[in-house]
Amino acid sequence: MRTAGHQARALDGDTSATATRGPSLRMRDVRKSYRGRPVLRGVSLDLFPGQLVGVVGENGAGKSTLLRILTGDLAADSGVAECRGTVGSCPQDAVLHGAFTVEQHLWFFRTAYGLNRLDRAYELLDQLNCTGYRNQRVETLSGGTRQKLNLVLALMHDPQVLLLDEPYQGFDWDTYLRFWDLARALCDRGCAVLVVSHLAYDASRLDILYRLGAGVLREAEQCGTSGWGS
Amino acid sequence: MNRWWSCLWTALRFALIEQARNRLALLIVLLFVPLWTTLAFEVVARTPLRFHVRPVGRWLVMDANVLTQITGALQALTLVIAFMMFIATARSALFDRRLVQAGYPRSCLAAAKCATLVLVAAVVAVYATAWTHLLWHPAQPMVFAAGMFTGALTYGAFGIVLAAVLRSELAGMFLAIMTSSIDLLLQNPMINPNADSPVVRYLPAHGAVQASVAAGGLHTVPWSSLLLGAGWALGMTALGMTAFAVRTRTQRLPAAQAADQHTARSATTSGAR
Repeated sequence: MRTAGHQARALDGDTSATATRGPSLRMRDVRKSYRGRPVLRGVSLDLFPGQLVGVVGENGAGKSTLLRILTGDLAADSGVAECRGTVGSCPQDAVLHGAFTVEQHLWFFRTAYGLNRLDRAYELLDQLNCTGYRNQRVETLSGGTRQKLNLVLALMHDPQVLLLDEPYQGFDWDTYLRFWDLARALCDRGCAVLVVSHLAYDASRLDILYRLGAGVLREAEQCGTSGWGS
Repeated sequence: MNRWWSCLWTALRFALIEQARNRLALLIVLLFVPLWTTLAFEVVARTPLRFHVRPVGRWLVMDANVLTQITGALQALTLVIAFMMFIATARSALFDRRLVQAGYPRSCLAAAKCATLVLVAAVVAVYATAWTHLLWHPAQPMVFAAGMFTGALTYGAFGIVLAAVLRSELAGMFLAIMTSSIDLLLQNPMINPNADSPVVRYLPAHGAVQASVAAGGLHTVPWSSLLLGAGWALGMTALGMTAFAVRTRTQRLPAAQAADQHTARSATTSGAR
């Protein structure tokens, strides 16, 4: 478990970057209901630069709602949700366009992010072992390769806050391990990473693990694999 | 401003690629338009029919097959372009939203959609006019094409509207087919002897039908019909763009931090929202 040491490094090791700027992501008493059914009943969370934080919860617990509020996709009923810095978001279902190739996706998002070059995107494709698919249309790709592209689009502009919703679904074991290496490397560069999943196989890779249940976020005891029912 | 133009150019390029990849629609345009216009011209009886041309306040006598060919060509155009724009808008809805969240100017995506609509409508209108010209010679081919163009624009924009409010592709296509059929069948005097009823003036393709028929048989430019068709096209496009804006909206950020999405994203919400 890396919580204490890593958080201490984030908070004390770089006072100018962290302590003075405060958390990269801050949620205070966020509430959300759907047709009178409360999903979030006052969620509060701080995520500092360099932290890798996980949120687990059973299906329908409100994990995706939490992320959608943070990405601006959804309005909370009350409370404060705030991200500071460039945000990268990887939605649960790969949001891609079947008519375009991988390369065309990169060009589209290069324009969206205002990037001059695609070097970082190519580097990420290489790390995720899908450079060979650059000229293939998305509709011809496997689910796992689509998910890799989904992730690359969230990372290619080197965001300061990264919001990942079930980011490794469909990955093979090697890619799954590469994903964690990538996530840790991003944290080492000062990125704040939030991973949301129904099950965290490797809770020990996280700095902090939270469980979302009954609409409330609580810090979980970490013991290898965590999840509802585990 | 440079960034805006760069974004617009990229969005336009990809919107055209997207249309070009819709092979089914291209096949329908290539085959369905000539098939329907030729069959209507060759198979339908050449019985003379009276058609009330409102812009000039005159009755025009035309053969039933020519009138059916005109409304048939318009129906083929309206259905094909409604299908093309509906499919393109529906399939890119979530992707467009993600692009906007990533910082892509929504106005560029909307402008690219409009430009694509205009381009596609112009191409199919010219194509339908060319086929018509092979069968018979409209008195004013350019005006005839302009009439077809306004009808195509109106229904292309209607496709965008439908894609924004419906989730099912089947429901969207069903509504487009039903609307186009009601609209154009009611204006064909061979099917509806009361096609000059005042009620038909309020149908979306009324301007397009009037302009095309007038251009087919008269040498007077039916300005009021062309303007009516353009009005319908503009109104429907505005509705489509509003629906697009609503579907791609993100929760707005507080003014202090919303200036640059790349430096801050903050979503502060309150009970009043």
